[in-house]
Amino acid sequence: MEGKWQLKDREAERRLFARRMVVASAVVVFLFAALLLKLINLQVTQYDYFASRADGNRLHSQYVPPARGLIFDHSGELLADNQPIFNLSVVRERVDDIDATLELLSSLIRLESEDVEQFRERLKRRRVPFSSIPLRYVLTEQEKARVSVNAHRLPGISIEPQFVRSYPAGDLNAHAVGYVSEINREELDAFAEDVRENYGGTNHIGKTGIERTYEELLHGEVGYEVVEKNNRGQVMRRLERTDPIAGKNLTLFLENRLQLIATEALGEQRGAVVAIDPNTGGILAMVSKPGFDPNLFVTGISNADYSRLITDNVNTPLFDRTVNPYPPASTVKPFIGLGGLQHGFTDQDTVIQDPGYFRLPGVRYRWGDYTLRTAIGGGHGETNLQRAIFQSCDTFFYDLGYRMGIDTIHSFLGQFGFGQNFTLDVGYARTGVLPSREWKQATRNEPWYPGDTINSSIGQGYMWATPLQLATATAIAANKGVVVKPRMLAAVDGEPFEPQDLNPVADVQIDNPDNWRYIEESMTMVVHRPYSQVFRDYGTAYEAIARADREMSYKMAGKSGSAQVVSIAQDILQSEDIDVSDLNKDHALFVAYAPAQHPTIKPQIAVAVFVENGQHGSSVAGPVAKAVIDAYLLDILQIDFTSLATDPDALLSFDAGRAPQQSTDPAAGFLTLANAEHEGHVHD
Amino acid sequence: MKAPSNRDFVRQSNVSFSQPHRLRSFWQVVHVDPILLAGLLALCGFGLFVLNSATAGDTEVVTRQAGTMGIGLFVMCVVAQFDIQFYRRWAPTVYVVALSILGLVLVIGVEKNGAKSWLDLPGLPSFQPSELLKFIVPMLLAWYLASRALPPNLKHVFWAGVFTLFPAALIVLQNDMGTALMVTMSGIFVLLLAGLRWRFVFAGIAAAVIASPAWYLFLAQPHQKNRILTFFDPYRDPTGAGYNIIQSQIAIGSGGVYGKGYGNGAQSHLDFIPESNTDFILAVLAEEFGLIGVLVLITLYLFVIMRGARIALGASDMFGRLLAGSITLTFFLYLFVNMAMVSGLLPVIGLPLPLISRGGTAVVTLFIGFGLLMSIQTHSANKSPR
Repeated sequence: MEGKWQLKDREAERRLFARRMVVASAVVVFLFAALLLKLINLQVTQYDYFASRADGNRLHSQYVPPARGLIFDHSGELLADNQPIFNLSVVRERVDDIDATLELLSSLIRLESEDVEQFRERLKRRRVPFSSIPLRYVLTEQEKARVSVNAHRLPGISIEPQFVRSYPAGDLNAHAVGYVSEINREELDAFAEDVRENYGGTNHIGKTGIERTYEELLHGEVGYEVVEKNNRGQVMRRLERTDPIAGKNLTLFLENRLQLIATEALGEQRGAVVAIDPNTGGILAMVSKPGFDPNLFVTGISNADYSRLITDNVNTPLFDRTVNPYPPASTVKPFIGLGGLQHGFTDQDTVIQDPGYFRLPGVRYRWGDYTLRTAIGGGHGETNLQRAIFQSCDTFFYDLGYRMGIDTIHSFLGQFGFGQNFTLDVGYARTGVLPSREWKQATRNEPWYPGDTINSSIGQGYMWATPLQLATATAIAANKGVVVKPRMLAAVDGEPFEPQDLNPVADVQIDNPDNWRYIEESMTMVVHRPYSQVFRDYGTAYEAIARADREMSYKMAGKSGSAQVVSIAQDILQSEDIDVSDLNKDHALFVAYAPAQHPTIKPQIAVAVFVENGQHGSSVAGPVAKAVIDAYLLDILQIDFTSLATDPDALLSFDAGRAPQQSTDPAAGFLTLANAEHEGHVHD
Repeated sequence: MKAPSNRDFVRQSNVSFSQPHRLRSFWQVVHVDPILLAGLLALCGFGLFVLNSATAGDTEVVTRQAGTMGIGLFVMCVVAQFDIQFYRRWAPTVYVVALSILGLVLVIGVEKNGAKSWLDLPGLPSFQPSELLKFIVPMLLAWYLASRALPPNLKHVFWAGVFTLFPAALIVLQNDMGTALMVTMSGIFVLLLAGLRWRFVFAGIAAAVIASPAWYLFLAQPHQKNRILTFFDPYRDPTGAGYNIIQSQIAIGSGGVYGKGYGNGAQSHLDFIPESNTDFILAVLAEEFGLIGVLVLITLYLFVIMRGARIALGASDMFGRLLAGSITLTFFLYLFVNMAMVSGLLPVIGLPLPLISRGGTAVVTLFIGFGLLMSIQTHSANKSPR
């Protein structure tokens, strides 16, 4: 280095090497020391932190959703079941590139942009880290296979079995039982903290009907488990588990068979049927037509399906007609009549002369009886309350109602549930309107006019009632004043359900019990009083019910009604697809209970039928009520009226002296047919 | 320092002394250094033990690794049979042949794990010729420098640098930065031990410090930049580039002082540690055996290194000294880089943990190095210096 003369000095070089080795050893020791310090830092100083990180890596506490309670009808038929489906789920934390993954998935399986949208929406929600988020529900076998084959390209994607609601009866109970659908953000936010916790593993919540009313009972309690997962999110071991508590199984009063019968009896018509057991208040049938398939909502209804349901302004399938108010029309007459008897505004024998119209003293305006619009002409002649009911004479009730006054009508009809929601567990039912002076002043800022009372006394004008209310009032009438509040739930997990009634209602007190008998007799005549030589002396529903079924083994008390259509939405009127004249037709109503006037058997069923634009209460709504009552009494309860030792004449005793025989005489038939065609079907 | 100087005296005096122990003469005859062998066997045993857990009891892998180690030990013994002067004579030839093989690899090499450094000749197991350069380069440099006056002058340093960087450049062309770095370092170790003047050393360090930003800005590949960024902040991409280091730190840290017990490493058994039986096996060890286990490993390594240093110091000539010292320091660098990388002290560099990580060529290469050490140890006593 210093010049060519330099010689190799082996000893000096050896010492130089040894010195360098010493330096190297020092460096080695220094580096090992640094390494040790680093390890001590990791393993001693930060031990707790890393130990919990390691547990956090592998241990995952996850919710175990409870099985939703099943819903049965009163006969034990399954109305809401849980079915296993396979969902495609995503653990977001495991997916590197969500967009690329979604793209790959959409090349493998059907993945609508809607699915992706909903998925991204779910991603934004509050959730447990490493929880799986559903991307698509109900994978087919083929799709499952395709995803499985490509599993290595899809980290974080898994196929998860899940139980979801299924409604075997399809649209039959869509409104009454309701449906479940995915919980949305608002619902989650509305929960208290502990309830939200309880829904940690739950995707669905009851949205309507029973599913919503009894969500708390049906849901159950969430379980928890601590699982050990590997790097790919696969569960390797289950370490701890708190089992979920399944939701309660509910048994309803509803009879699926009655639902079917009612639906079939309504046919293609829009309408509603509500049937109540007057002994318990149990709702035996609650049908709104048209229905919809509740199964569509369970796994997320497609936009196309949904818009089809909500844009149908005429059929409004999502709209529950059983709890929507309509003018009750003549179906209120027995109740007004009973009120008149009770409060002394008339008695069983008081007869008025019906010229076919009613006129207030000193007022020229005439309130016409429906018979004015018939070819034969108006008026019933001499009419007592009974005849006014079975012939549905308006004039009699104009007069009676006018004399009773709205205050009496309001307080008396209120006892039957008009204007209120008497139900124990149909909280979503509307209350309709039982008008009063206060109500009119409050809502319209107008005083009450006598003419308002006159309209109200035939169930028109300001009076509005839901089919459910009509069935309720009819059940109370069938009970002769004993109030039973309508309810859906009969039993929970097999144990009879005793609902708490927070607002008990007093029974309807009628001073003279014979007035009950009188009203029942009058309503029975609506159905059973045959044609005779006497002018306008048959029951309005005789033709459609008792005459149509001469084998009828029991008596039915009923009342028909035809409600004037008040308003039709402007956009419907302008629609070209619909024959607007159809929508102008009266709504057909019929209320009934049975068996009536039976010496040993109390009334078992009260029914209200509403047919939208059905025109004739007796001929259109009546047979529906008859079909439902037949099915309940004869098929479900299997009461054999014919073999019961009862004297049929005794049942007809009310008719003694008023041409009891049925008109088989051709000559009489001519007259009665003329009656029927020109009047009986026009108004009820 | 007493014994070697003493032996030097003995050699220089050219007087024959009887060996103090019969046993020693036996090892001298079979050309095996029992102390180094004991350290290596202990390391191999420990390595197999850890590997058994890291592979979750995959006997096939463990058996294959044991077989590889057996082959390595055999190769080591074979290598040790040749006098170190034999290697010295053949060093230039071997170096030239090695360079041509490296050139060949560039043409017909096979790519594995991103590095086109594998030679897959029919009839032979595939291997990485570049691995062999880790001791061929120091061998050539030792040959070159030992016969020249030390400390090396500028010219010698220059040529030593050329001899080192040329094969390193070829290996870089194979896209194997890790090996290229190790080969370069093995050459630098020879220079350092040969007494490279401190001003060169500091100049070199200064040059490296100045050049590294330039390298980072203009030459570094994206994945290399990523590794460096990740080193400074693993959490900038916790599920991507930072995942390995985060998970291995969690494994090490959660092992604590005593470890979770053999086979109980949740991090490794649930596959949170990537490359758990190759580059990141230290994480498995640290998780299951804790700080104690790592200390045992470091002790074993230190034992082998000290023995290597002892052999280097006791070598009869400068060639043996430089070669033994470089092999020993390269071995240390190897294991240190791996341990430092797994524990987060250095950026991720793809190097296995010697004798613990699963591997084929790398293990055998290590044993060739140890064979050379044994050759230096067992032949130097018999031979008079040139």
